[in-house]
Parts: sequence; structure tokens; C-alpha cells
Amino acid sequence: MGMTFHHRKLDNALDVIAEADGDAHSFAAGLYVATGSRDESPDINGVSHFLEHMMFKGSSQYTWEDVNRIFDEMGARYNAFTTQESTAYYANVLPEFTARAVEHLAHLLRPAIRPEDFQTEKKVILEEIAMHMDDPGYRIYEALMQEHFTSHPLSHSVLGSPQSIQNLSRDQMAEYFSKQYGAGNTVLAVTGKLDFEQIVSLAEQYCGSWASGTAVRDRAEPRYRPHRKALHDGKLNRQYTMAMVPGPSAQDPRRFAARVLGDVIGDAEGSRLYWALVDNAIAEEADFGFYPHDGCGSFYISLTTDPQRTEQALQITHKELARVRGDLTEEEVQRAKNKIASALVLEGEVPLGRMRAIAGQWVYNKEYRSLEMDMATLLSITADSLRQLMGQFPFEPMTIVTLGP
Amino acid sequence: MSERYFQHTLASGLTLLAEEMPGVQSAAMVLMLAAGSASDPAQALGSASVLSDLVLRGAGARDSRQLSDYLDSLGLHRSSSVGVHHARFACEGLAPKVVEALAAYADIVRRPHLPPSGFQAARDLALQSLEGLEDDPRQKLVVKLRECFFPSPLGRNPMGKPAHLRKLTLEVCKADWQRRYQAKEAILAVAGNIDFAQVKSEVQKHFGQMAATGAPVLAPRRPRKKYHHEIQRSEQTHIGIAYPSIEETDQDYYVVRLAMEILGGGMSGRLFTEVREKRGLCYAVWAGYTGIKGYGAVLGYAGTSNDRAQATLDCMAEQIHRLAEGVSADELQRAKIVLKANTIMDGESTAARAGAIAYDFFMRGRMRTLDEITAQIDAVDLERINDFLRRHRPGPFTIVTVGPKELRRPGE
Repeated sequence: MGMTFHHRKLDNALDVIAEADGDAHSFAAGLYVATGSRDESPDINGVSHFLEHMMFKGSSQYTWEDVNRIFDEMGARYNAFTTQESTAYYANVLPEFTARAVEHLAHLLRPAIRPEDFQTEKKVILEEIAMHMDDPGYRIYEALMQEHFTSHPLSHSVLGSPQSIQNLSRDQMAEYFSKQYGAGNTVLAVTGKLDFEQIVSLAEQYCGSWASGTAVRDRAEPRYRPHRKALHDGKLNRQYTMAMVPGPSAQDPRRFAARVLGDVIGDAEGSRLYWALVDNAIAEEADFGFYPHDGCGSFYISLTTDPQRTEQALQITHKELARVRGDLTEEEVQRAKNKIASALVLEGEVPLGRMRAIAGQWVYNKEYRSLEMDMATLLSITADSLRQLMGQFPFEPMTIVTLGP
Repeated sequence: MSERYFQHTLASGLTLLAEEMPGVQSAAMVLMLAAGSASDPAQALGSASVLSDLVLRGAGARDSRQLSDYLDSLGLHRSSSVGVHHARFACEGLAPKVVEALAAYADIVRRPHLPPSGFQAARDLALQSLEGLEDDPRQKLVVKLRECFFPSPLGRNPMGKPAHLRKLTLEVCKADWQRRYQAKEAILAVAGNIDFAQVKSEVQKHFGQMAATGAPVLAPRRPRKKYHHEIQRSEQTHIGIAYPSIEETDQDYYVVRLAMEILGGGMSGRLFTEVREKRGLCYAVWAGYTGIKGYGAVLGYAGTSNDRAQATLDCMAEQIHRLAEGVSADELQRAKIVLKANTIMDGESTAARAGAIAYDFFMRGRMRTLDEITAQIDAVDLERINDFLRRHRPGPFTIVTVGPKELRRPGE
């Protein structure tokens, strides 16, 4: 299975990256923009995600009906998502639609933002927020990010609040767009069956006229303090607990070891927390994972329990985090590595999976990593690397948030 | 049948299916036993779910932790679940590791330890998931919709009932394991970079002597409900609509699938366009075909603010009824491309292929190639779909809502 990497920077600073796989049956393309809720000021909170929706409402050339129709005419699997730090638009098509898919994604990212569409979509966003308010998992995650990052922009909600969305104007969105969506802040990533020279000429044709701006991100260090907050909601039956501690950043070479450590401690099966909490039904769910950001990073803990078992579950979690530093074994590290290695192989077998991997990597590091490089790095990790990591990131200071009856 | 597909039924009744995919490094395995919620003992609803957890807590020569550590050391991603008809165990990973794990999966289903402490925990976890359902109105809606629409026992919630689970004993579970974890009608499918001859000999060795009786599913009974409301103090009202459709084995199956693509499939589907894009009534809205053996149905969903719920339900119902007036040539053309592209792109994933051939065999008694499926999609033309839609008017509706207030049933 031979995969070849290509990179070209267009005159307007748009990066075009490709991983060609002659054996693939499909083609995947994504436009990733390095902007998200952490790049918003509080008065426009939620604009990144709202703007992502507006992209599907049409450009000067297309109406919203055209946008979705054209994707469907290609039989595309397409979607978009917004996080704190990036906004992505992607499509997976059969190779015969390569040119059309790139053209259409490019059109998508130059939206008209028509006032009447803006007002209709505002209602949809408010419904999306309402839907998430019925989801305790989402509510606890939002509350945790706010408590952990306090005044740091990573605390900003991706969806925004009903208030910030109500108040947002079309002009504020247009201004945010021109500031954040410069070609220098965007990467076009393509994978699967493709011809790179064709991709470059398509990118030049459809993205070559984009303004070349690069956005500046506030990279101040977050300031953490250990604390705990309890949220009450009488209509809930279960207690939801999340906690967060500092970890390596998305740029940090230790991020690979951090992922392995996440699986050792908190994978859904066979992990330390599984045996300490789920195997004996003290918790219904107990996860620990690594969550990297731009310039900083976190480990998180997530527990779902009967309300009266929360304290016991938290105590056991603390005990396990203390214990793993002393008695970590090479065998459990090896098991976690094996699981991650097969996840890498499985992801590598579908073009959409590889597109997400190389685009995500590029947004943070402007660096390409092949599957083989990731595999080699993974194999080099030992119990010692994890012990060292835990010495440098000792699971404190910890922010804990609970939500329940 | 193309030379990459293989099928072999053991004397015990278990059928092995395989698809060789030489272009990949991975493989995926799916094992389906006739031990789903529809064959749960009438006084022990949820038994299948507890069992599917309990059998993993030690089997053959390995205790619970040794078994988990062993499968982890193979790097396998695993899942187990219970549906209407089956208990389903699946794993994916590097192809040789998946083949190696077949012996351990034979231990899991044939020689589980079923330990008392593990039973208490598995039952407790099942009860906890049921409580969690009360905090998740969207999932609760789907559970209630299936309960109200499908005749019992096919509409059962696989998670069971709290009162039954509290009374469930290890003895009942052991007897249930004996009765239902059998080779008869069991299906084991493997797709990926495998050699069929080798897989066959492994499966013969480990599953060849598996006991072969089977558990009957109760005859479906009880009529469908027309409207059901669950009071919930939620932010949104969650709306479900269901109505009967043809069976999946019907020659017009792809006619319905295409009609559903046009109604509620992608972002250019009618529901998305009319309910969300034009009127901004909701964020999530969809409809699609669901097949259970012997029954076909269309299920639809929308979640919306309480004060706009009636308008949303009326708008959804109107769009569903409008199907009887037929679809346009453009709509059909797009739906065909989408359905075919999805079929082909699914073909790139070993897990999707293993799942698809196992499901095909259960529903149709044989595997289908991707070419056969795309040919059937191609064979649907405008006249055929519109004639079908005229003859099969949507309805009667079963409507379920979860939220603070009841809604009015739209006229049919």
C-alpha cells in the first residue's frame, strides 16, 4: 500500500497537502481553517459555529438549495464541524467527482451570508443549543471547560449561549469571516485516489483569488487553580462528573505518550479505571483521556454514577492516579500501544480517516506525518516514557465539576 | 457469486461467511447468536443484555482480567450489543490477530464462567443504563417509539425492564445461556485480509461442536398504538413518527430506500429542506427505513422547542404524506447517486463489510455483492417509484412525543 505525500503553497499562502493512495476507491477533501470559539471575543461567542452553518446557505453564485443539491448530485458524504480551535468542511466522493468536489468546497467557503438566511439559521442554532441542554454529557463538558480555563479563551463555548446568538448581527459575522478566513489560515487536505497536479490546478482556479490573511491567536498560558464546583438539576437521575488537569499540547512531542497513558488509565475496556470502577459497577462509565489544544493541553476524567456513589468513585480515581505512577507495567503499556496501532491501521484504510489525520496535524503543526512515522513513534514509547510524563504532568491542579440531582 | 465471497454452514448450524479483501491489512469479525431481546424470557426482560456482559467476565482457561488483557494484547477493538434478534460480538484489528481471537470468542460464547460477583455487577450496570435513559429524552423517544409501533416482542427495549432486572438471578441467567447461546442460526462473518481456508479450519475447530438447539421468538402480538406521550421536563419536545412499510426482502426494497433518501436522507432531503432550512423549526430532523425480520417500517424524528413542537409535527406529517404525490426525476437521480456512493464507500471498511454480509445472510439467507446492490438501485426508474408511492400511501402513523406537553395528532 504505497502512499505519497505532496505539498504546495499557493501565492496567497493557501497550503495544499495531499496523500495519494493509488489503491483507494474514493477521494476525500477537506478545507480546515485554524479558527474556532477561542478566537472569538465574548460578545460574538458562537460566531465560528454559526458561520460554519451559514457556509451551507450559499455563495454569491449558489442558493442554499444549490449547495446541498450539488453535494448530493456527487453522492458525497459531506459535513462540517467546529471546535474551540478549528473549523472543518469535508467531502468524501468517488474519484470521478474529484474536480467537482474541490470546486464545490471552495465555493462553500466564500459565503453570501444573506440577511434572511441569517435570521432563519439563527433559529436553527438556538434549537441546536436547546437540544444540547437536554444532554447532561454536553452540559457537564461545557461547565468543565469554563471552570478549568476560566478567563482563558479556551473556556468559550463552541455553540455560544442563547443570549450571544440572539444578539449576534450579520455584520459582526462578516467581519469575523474576513479576519479569520484568509488563505494563510486555511489548508486544503486531500487523500485517496488523486493526481496532485490536478489538485493544485483546481486549488489555483477556485481558491487562488482568496485574500491571503493569517489570523493572530491569543496564546496566553492558561492559569489553573485546583477547585470543585457542584451543579444541581433536580430532574436528573444520574450524577455526571468531569475533571481536568494540565497535559502536553498538540505541538508537544510527548503527545504520543500522553495518548498511550490515556488508554492505560481510562480506555473503555481493560484500563485501570475500568477495573477499579466499571467492572464492579461502582460507575456506569469511567473514562480518562488526553485532550490536546494549541499551545497547552489537558487530561480529562469523566464518570457517570448513582448520585450516592460519586464520592467513592472520585476517591478511587484519585487513588488510581496516584498508584499508576508507582506500579505501571510494561505489559499494560504494550497492550495500549497495540490497540492504538490497530486504530491507526484501520483509520489509514479509508481516505476520509487519513484526510482527518493529516489535516488535523497540519492545522496545529504545519507538519506531515505518515502512518509509518506515527507507528514508529508509537512503538518507541515505553513505560519509562509514561513515568517521565507523569513526573512532568502530575495530574494537578485539578478542576472537578459535578452535575446531578 | 464473486470469488472473494465464501460461505460454509457447520453441522452444528453455525454459518460462516467471509469476504477476502486483499488490499487491506485489517480484518473484522462479527458473531451473531439468536439471543436478542425478542427471545428474552417473558419474566426476565433484559436477560440478553446482562448475559452479553456476563459472558465476557471470564471464559475457558482465562479469568475476566486475563481474557480482557489477552484480547487487548492482540490490539483488538471490540464491542458487544443486543438487538431485537441477536446478541452480537464484534472485533476489528490486524487480520492475523482477528483470526487468532476466534478461539477466545468460542470460549466466550461456549465456555463462559458466569461468576456470581460478575453477575451482580453486570445486572447493576444494566439497571444503571436504564436510569440513564431517563436523563436522555432523545434516546428515550426512540425506545418508546419502537415499543409503541412494533408488535411485542419485537418492539422490546433490549435494555430490559427495571422490575425484571431487580428480580433476575444468576440461575435464570445460566439457564438462559444454556438455552440461547447455541449454534443454530448463529452467524459468524469475517471480512478483510484473510484466507478463507484458514478461517474455515479455525472456525470448524472452535465452533464445530457447539450445541445446536435454538430459542423460539414469541409470536408477535398486540396492535400498534396511535399516540403516546411521555411527560418529561425537557428543553425540547422530541417527536417520533412510525408507519408500516414493506419487508426488506420485498422486490421493491430499493424503491423504498430511494424514497426515504428523498424524504429524509441527506441535507437536500425534503424534511431537512422544509422543516429546517426553510422554516428553521429544528436542528435535528430525519426519517429512514428500518427493517426487522418480517416487518418493515419508516421511522422519523425531530427535536424542537416546546412552543414550536406542534408546528414541527404538522410540517413533518405533511411532508411524509406528500410522498404519495410522487417524486421528481431530479430527486430520484440524486438519491440513486447518494445510495450507490454510500454502498461503494462502505466497501472500503472491513467492519462495515463484515456487518453487511452477516446482516444480509440473516435477512435474505445469502450474501450480496456490491455489484448486485448497485444494479438493484439502478433498476428503479421514475415510473416504478411513483407507481409504488401512489399504491403505498404513508400510514397509519404511530406518533410518540417526549416533552412537557402533549401534542395534537395531525389529520391523516
